[in-house]
Amino acid sequence: MKRDERSFRVALLADRYVNPPAGGVDGIAVAADAGWGVMQLPADDYPAAVAQRLLFEVAEQAEEFTRHGYDLVLVGECDGLADALARVGLGVPDAINPEGPVVLKEFLDARPVPRALRRADGEAG
Amino acid sequence: MAHCMLNQNSKVGDGAHCAGIYSPIIDVLREKGWRIEQMPCPELAFAGLNRFWAVREQYDTAAFRRHCARLATAVADMIAVRVDKGEDVVLLGVEGSPSMGVTITSSDPSRGGRPEWPDGSPELVSGEGIFVEELRRELNSRGIGFPRVAGDTHAIPGHHEAAQRAVVEATLAKEG
Repeated sequence: MKRDERSFRVALLADRYVNPPAGGVDGIAVAADAGWGVMQLPADDYPAAVAQRLLFEVAEQAEEFTRHGYDLVLVGECDGLADALARVGLGVPDAINPEGPVVLKEFLDARPVPRALRRADGEAG
Repeated sequence: MAHCMLNQNSKVGDGAHCAGIYSPIIDVLREKGWRIEQMPCPELAFAGLNRFWAVREQYDTAAFRRHCARLATAVADMIAVRVDKGEDVVLLGVEGSPSMGVTITSSDPSRGGRPEWPDGSPELVSGEGIFVEELRRELNSRGIGFPRVAGDTHAIPGHHEAAQRAVVEATLAKEG
């Protein structure tokens, strides 16, 4: 069986970076290039109740990643995310509102090594 | 689309075949002008990142069905919004998955206990994963037709990226 290729890095991406409007920042392309996985946040056109249910699931998954030492960042903004994360004991992760792909790539590349990887390499963490 | 296509970090251990985003299917969606909506991973929040590889029978419990039904409600909400706007919807799953399979899932009624089994895929059978079944049930209860489906075929013997792409393209091209 081949080696597991995961990066232990997950970006919470506002919908406008997943489905960018014309001229917008393609967060998927940048995340793929930087080796990050993505959790998509609800689109702005969803009713509040729908978005809330989706954010509940995002938060539960984020909690699992965080507990296992994966790095988590927020790209963009999303109403209700802070409350959803708080319900599972998480704060809002380090965030960026990138105006261009280069800034986003630099932000992702500059992140520290995830705790899960430091553990795997035998460092204290 | 299945969560793991955008986030290979959600995969069961030894299952991530790239660092983060599995781009071949994303590329097709982008080229054809489709909007992306990511579904939650049913197994991640239920059994966690340290879960074992498993077949349908190991997940087919009342508790996991309730979990999948909750997720299916959220996903059906998304689909309902898109359908109400007159948008076409296609479901992209993960073939061979006990929860996200759309035409191929995994089954072995005898599997359990100490997790030792030979590599290979004798457990692959035609059918849907448990989450997909629950989503079908939820959409049916709302009178919403089940979307056309295609899947990531990495776990299927003989996987070929060009063939996978052709299936996804054909599925997208059909009339909704």
